[in-house]
Amino acid sequence: MGKKPATERRDDVKAGIGNDPAFAYSALPGVADEMVDNAGAVRPVWQNLLAALSRMPEGELSERFARADRYLRDAGVFYRAYGATGMSERSWPISHIPVLIDEREWQVLSAGLRQRADLLEQIIADIYGDNRLVESGLLPPALVGANPEFLRPLAGVKPAKGHYLHFLAFEIGRGPDGNWWVLADRAQAPSGAGFALETRVATTRAFSDIYAETNVHRLASFFGAFRDALQGMKRSGDGRIAVLTPGPANETYYEHAYIARYLGFMLLEGEDLAVVNDQVMVRTVAGLKPISVLWRRLDASYADPLELNQHSHIGTPGMVQALRAQAVTIVNALGSGILETRALLAFMPTISRHFLGEELQLPSIATWWCGQKAEREHVAANIGKMVIGPAYSGMPFFDDNGQSVLGSTLLTTKRKSISDWLSTDGHKLVGQEVVTLSTTPAWVDGKLLPRPMSLRVFAARTANGWQIMPGGFARIGSGDDVAAIAMQAGGSAADVWIVSDKPVERHTLLPAEETFTRNMPGSLPSRAADNLFWLGRYIERAEGALRILRAWHGRYAEAADPNQPLLADVSAYLAAIDIDTEEAVPESLLRNIDSAVYSASNIRDRFSPDGWLALNDLAKTARRFKQTITSGDDASHAMTILLRKLAGFAGLVHENMYRFTGWRFLSLGRYIERGLHMTRLLGRMSGPDAPDGALDMLLEIGDSVMTHRRRYNVNTARLTVTDLLALDPLNPRSILFQMNEIHREVEQLPNAFVNGQMSPFYREAMRLHSGLAVMTPETMDGDVYRRLERELERLSDLLAQTYLG
Amino acid sequence: MLYDLSLHMGYIYDVPASGAHHVIRVLPLSIGNRQRLIAGSLTVSPQPDEQSNYVDFFRHPTTSIFVRNAHERLDIRMQARVQVENQAIGADFSPLLARLPEEISTDWSVEPDSPHHFLATSPRLPETPQIAEYARQWAGGGLTVMQIAQSVCARIHHDFTYDTEATTVDTTPRESFELKRGVCQDFVHVMIVALRSLGIPAGYVSGFLRTIPPPGKERLEGADAMHAWVRIWCGQTAGWIELDPTNNIAAGTDHIVVAYGRDYSDVAPVIGVLKSYGSQKAVQAVDVIPLKQS
Repeated sequence: MGKKPATERRDDVKAGIGNDPAFAYSALPGVADEMVDNAGAVRPVWQNLLAALSRMPEGELSERFARADRYLRDAGVFYRAYGATGMSERSWPISHIPVLIDEREWQVLSAGLRQRADLLEQIIADIYGDNRLVESGLLPPALVGANPEFLRPLAGVKPAKGHYLHFLAFEIGRGPDGNWWVLADRAQAPSGAGFALETRVATTRAFSDIYAETNVHRLASFFGAFRDALQGMKRSGDGRIAVLTPGPANETYYEHAYIARYLGFMLLEGEDLAVVNDQVMVRTVAGLKPISVLWRRLDASYADPLELNQHSHIGTPGMVQALRAQAVTIVNALGSGILETRALLAFMPTISRHFLGEELQLPSIATWWCGQKAEREHVAANIGKMVIGPAYSGMPFFDDNGQSVLGSTLLTTKRKSISDWLSTDGHKLVGQEVVTLSTTPAWVDGKLLPRPMSLRVFAARTANGWQIMPGGFARIGSGDDVAAIAMQAGGSAADVWIVSDKPVERHTLLPAEETFTRNMPGSLPSRAADNLFWLGRYIERAEGALRILRAWHGRYAEAADPNQPLLADVSAYLAAIDIDTEEAVPESLLRNIDSAVYSASNIRDRFSPDGWLALNDLAKTARRFKQTITSGDDASHAMTILLRKLAGFAGLVHENMYRFTGWRFLSLGRYIERGLHMTRLLGRMSGPDAPDGALDMLLEIGDSVMTHRRRYNVNTARLTVTDLLALDPLNPRSILFQMNEIHREVEQLPNAFVNGQMSPFYREAMRLHSGLAVMTPETMDGDVYRRLERELERLSDLLAQTYLG
Repeated sequence: MLYDLSLHMGYIYDVPASGAHHVIRVLPLSIGNRQRLIAGSLTVSPQPDEQSNYVDFFRHPTTSIFVRNAHERLDIRMQARVQVENQAIGADFSPLLARLPEEISTDWSVEPDSPHHFLATSPRLPETPQIAEYARQWAGGGLTVMQIAQSVCARIHHDFTYDTEATTVDTTPRESFELKRGVCQDFVHVMIVALRSLGIPAGYVSGFLRTIPPPGKERLEGADAMHAWVRIWCGQTAGWIELDPTNNIAAGTDHIVVAYGRDYSDVAPVIGVLKSYGSQKAVQAVDVIPLKQS
């Protein structure tokens, strides 16, 4: 495609709009619009984009949009929707035209949001502290006492680092007078920041040239600052930071994984955690490790089945106790959800004057809590201009699954009962002024049309106070109606560009800046690479375990004595990798295969249906065997069947998968795991003190019995086995073979060379390869294998750091 | 009245349990002039690996324990000596029902005893239209809050059959209401939902009941296990009163308070989370022995 710089077209903005009917955009009467002002003129920040759009040849725009869609599809960006027919995965609905906002306006908005964040912190500290607001009559006690989000076990619990709130989101909208209003505060576990990032990446896929020439504030530094802030909250060097997710069934699970990977934090679920002597620990294969900061994405009431929701299956017993002991920081503090209470909006102005001695810089949507007589009467008298909704709901009125109703519709249906309803159920209701939100252009059926929008903006507490993400995402309605903004009602999301007059600072946390702008086919999202890499490792790990178990059970069938030295030795080896030979089909083997299925389920679009079915067949068969198979011959035979099924899956992948970056990550996972497997085995079983029969068993596990017989013409000896399984470059199971292949694949990865120099990862792969290539069988002893094992593991970490972070 | 109390709660596991967390609320409270805990002790077997004590939101001293290793049974034993004073409900200073919302709204507090905690739904007690319909008969008319509470208490006692087989600890108020059967917990939950539907703050009281009745009186239901009754907020002047719908009496010197809460979930004597694959059996034994007549 021809790539003329977009700026060449800057001169004829008006003409572009005027000439092409698709761009004959006009705002709705009486409604503010983001792109055009009241006089119908295009606002300065939009002119470049609009000019570029209007000059694109027919078809180009749809090509560009397709690039954005493809990115989202490839990245697997989805959210889950809950409907009458159950849960379904929906791709992230993008509205391709970004919303552009002038940096100067954004600064004013940001100042207002920072003030609001500070106020919310003071309110939450009071609600879970001294309750002065209630005592001094500024906050009705019912809004605390009757509030399902008031978590009594947290009352009086002070956060370890002094602050309750660290990450907030605000739903804001612009009214007809051009001013911004806060529609809802999100403090429980605000979602969307990761979606904002992905929306940005997708949008820049469509408009890379325009984006490059527009001074758009980058999002990365915001995340960098928040990551640093979280790191600053660690208690000691040892304490880990993790993202706590409710799990894959959650509607925004995709984002939890994305954020964790993007920031380099662990992604954990409640059951990964344990509270030991008041300290939150994560369970790892190396034992329990302390956690000092949890960025939670699950609702607080589920966090601890002992003291909060007793029916929670996704919590960690003792979490509240750990908080009481100030041994962990949870972002945001458990209980923060109370700040989302819709009725609270009615009391923010007075509370602001009380706490801050100033007015709210950014007003909330006008709200009246009907638990008070005067307010109730006001709502009843002005019902035609109101939306009536649940007082304790945390969602904005247009996004609460129809719980809110327009007063005007009540007028026609049940006018008489309104004041009765308000007085009996008043404490459960709020009235909110009906707002007309501003519109922004959306591309609908081949032309730009004004659509209502609200913005979701994010705030993070950093060492320098609250920082507002310069951007976020806009929620765009599918029709004229404000209610159509909800995604469940067909709404979509658009990128938000904060545009400066001057060049902006660039900063990225992604491994390569060009992933934002390069349109190379197949540039692989980190998320998919990560899953492929791990799929490779899990598959290979399962194969390794199956081979050892088959050999073990074969010998056990003959010896019938698990204490026979070789069997006992191998059992001890397997125990160290969590496999118990007392189980014929060990549970951890099943978990391993399940992990492979899970990794694959995240990247299903990369497999033929055949491959997916083959993998599931393997998992199902293994589960069935678990119930029926007994140790010895039976198990040995079962392992053979499972190995065959596994080979079937591997073969389908091998035959069908496109040989590009994704393939390399899958392969690297397999090579590294296979190299590790053989290194550990040789280190354990080829030493001078290995039990009788160990060398023959090694050859069997390494599928090299025949080759050994042909090549060496002698009985198995330490040196010949070492030669064949460690150093033979032609044996596809030898360690050196894996090193060769790793070297070859790494060379082909993006950014193997940076500015003509080898990347640290590439250098390490090469060093490992050549270090092993010059070894002789005599020099391969236990120390060498141990070192090699460490180096391979480091290589895996380095790969993750370089490509999967 | 002076009582010696003993409680044994035993859990027997089919398959040994491990990694067991329990939160325990079984010691009687000290409450002003009403009740005084003179001595009390709690022992757990096997010896917990971790134990901590804290005071919960409703001011109950709570014990949290953790038993790490596999165990086939867990035994919680409590012994206490408690002095209970007579709590005769005096003259009715409660307002008419119509006046109650205003009295509630003058209470600018969210302290544990504030009525605001006891008016809305709570974890175990969602809005239940069938029970609200049942309670509607008291909505109109010129009755005081206390009269309504006593009338609801009597009515439930009359309409419901005490039946230890009909329900479980997880039975919802709607289910027991439809059965018109259950134990103290069911009577109490239904009564709380009924009162809240009328706008009357009501809460759950867990405690003990004197085991052997005074000479010439009948043995009360619910004396062989921990008991439950209802507390009702009757306005600023009358404050809280306690009624026992299982026995249709006011809580008096036979009732020993352990904990206050919004419903059973706030006061459950033992809440446990543990790793175990089999089923479990629970046993409970209570002795409430009066030491002397007062």
